[in-house]
Amino acid sequence: MSFMENMLMALSSLKAHKLRSILTMLGIIIGVGAVIIVVAIGQGGEAMLKSQITGPGNTIEMFYQPSDEEIRANPNIFQQAPFKQEDIRALEQLPEVKQVVASSTTLSAVRYQQDTADVSSTGINQAYLKLNQLKVEKGRNLSTADFLGGRRVALISNKLQEELFKGKNPIGKIITLANQPIEVIGVLEKPTGLLAFGSMEVYLPFQTWKIIYGSSDFTQVTIQADSAEQLQTAGKKAAKLLNRMHNTEKSYQVINMEEIAQGVGQVTQIMTLIIGSIAGISLFVGGIGVMNIMLVSVTERTREIGIRMALGATRGQVLTQFLIESMTLTLIGGILGIFLGWGTSEIVSFFAGWPSLVSWQVVLGGVLFSMVIGVVFGILPANKASKLDPIESLRYE
Amino acid sequence: MIRLESITKSFLVGKESIDILNNISLIIEEGEFVAIMGPSGSGKSTLMNIIGCLDKPTSGQYFLGGEDVSNYNDKELARVRNQSIGFVFQQFHLLPRLTAMKNVELPMIYAGISKSERQSRAEDALRKMGLEDRMDHLPNALSGGQKQRVAIARSIVNRPKLILADEPTGALDTKTSMAIMEQFRELNQEGVTVVVVTHEPEVAEYANRTILVRDGMIQVSAAAERGQRT
Repeated sequence: MSFMENMLMALSSLKAHKLRSILTMLGIIIGVGAVIIVVAIGQGGEAMLKSQITGPGNTIEMFYQPSDEEIRANPNIFQQAPFKQEDIRALEQLPEVKQVVASSTTLSAVRYQQDTADVSSTGINQAYLKLNQLKVEKGRNLSTADFLGGRRVALISNKLQEELFKGKNPIGKIITLANQPIEVIGVLEKPTGLLAFGSMEVYLPFQTWKIIYGSSDFTQVTIQADSAEQLQTAGKKAAKLLNRMHNTEKSYQVINMEEIAQGVGQVTQIMTLIIGSIAGISLFVGGIGVMNIMLVSVTERTREIGIRMALGATRGQVLTQFLIESMTLTLIGGILGIFLGWGTSEIVSFFAGWPSLVSWQVVLGGVLFSMVIGVVFGILPANKASKLDPIESLRYE
Repeated sequence: MIRLESITKSFLVGKESIDILNNISLIIEEGEFVAIMGPSGSGKSTLMNIIGCLDKPTSGQYFLGGEDVSNYNDKELARVRNQSIGFVFQQFHLLPRLTAMKNVELPMIYAGISKSERQSRAEDALRKMGLEDRMDHLPNALSGGQKQRVAIARSIVNRPKLILADEPTGALDTKTSMAIMEQFRELNQEGVTVVVVTHEPEVAEYANRTILVRDGMIQVSAAAERGQRT
């Protein structure tokens, strides 16, 4: 007797008790659904964290970690910005590097009329503007002319607007940074997201910043590669280049993102495993429900089993019939559970702003696992059915 | 066709062993139409179960169509039931959720016959029973006589040499009973050996020979009975 024939027979038996079959499936649907939701959200979170580490647009940050000798030779080394303008130019020549994002930040006092505030004042190059996508809410953004000409213009953060201008329109107003007048041309959008909080910031073209603060060095350098694959190579080459230019051994470094991403991956995987196994318990309970109903079904269908045996069904065929029936039950439940889990995790990620990932491995795993549950929890009832005595069963009322 | 040699069947009731069948020897030739009669508790059902390979004797040998089936295991017995015996029961024993057609197909499914072959054979069998317009009906939509005809169709689709009918008319009115018995007579005339267990003399009338079972033993010698009848 073929598998398909068994399957069709199982379907017709399940259809004969629609409500019961659906209720039994519900346990499997919820169990599989819960596991899918947990895994989908876990994997989505992992992907999101990894992408945040890697930075938007295949970027990698460079940092300066002076050696002990350098610190001894120059105790004030931490006060100095580690990247020179020629460093940036040299980095831009590397073939793997698409562009170099450089900025310099210093704490500074800002004054508007009688009010003052402490801000972090950042001089940025044009690449920074493109990559970080500073969005302007009011006024206009920095233009190429502003960068090239070193115009005395600035973007201010939303928080600073509130503190310093108290609701008045800041566009076109003159603020004073390090005793130099600067015109406000734009206000940045409020940062969004779960962990975002406003801070007091001013952004100037680097040429302007250089004149105001009298420093032509950069505190932060981020390089952007053409592709994620080239990023590590670009980072390593960049570090090597800077070390050579500064005659240092390995003071200029890039973060090894692979290691960090792996670490993050491990943490999220462990979390997913823990929550997933709790969800798995509901699947187990669902399996017990299937076993229960199959046992009832075997008892109810004792006469059917007797008839089948009298007509020539072997014990093995009866066993197979009931195993396939419970497997069909859990398989359908599993497939519906996958859709439930998929849908729910999409809804969750829509409202929580957290991506969800239902990978084909998870779907395949869910299908196979629900079949396995059907077999495991079907063994006991199927075995009971196959052990029935045909004569007794034929007499069963 | 059927040869029983010193068949004994005993059951344990508590510590005591009770003989239901006591040293029964019996020969039924191919092509015979035999009725097995006896009061309830005589052991005729047990004898029927052993002949039908649903039960195994405690001792003795049973040859069915030349095969010694007395020591067959469950799987082999299932094959013998499937291939060599057609069953007809008092309560029809049709699967209620399957159409007449599907019920008739059932033994062929276990015989591993292809779907198209099954359908054509099931159709033939149902047509032969005069049920060509009832093929897609569920058992509930059929009368008692029609149900039993479906059961007979089911018993012949694997073309067995032997048809075993256990009180086939027990749940039917007299007129229908006679029609069903005519059906068996027809099959017998086609060469199928028919064994009917009954307690109704009218039914036994259709047989060429009656075997009387009482207290686990055969009472009337087969030869004598045959002599009476002819």
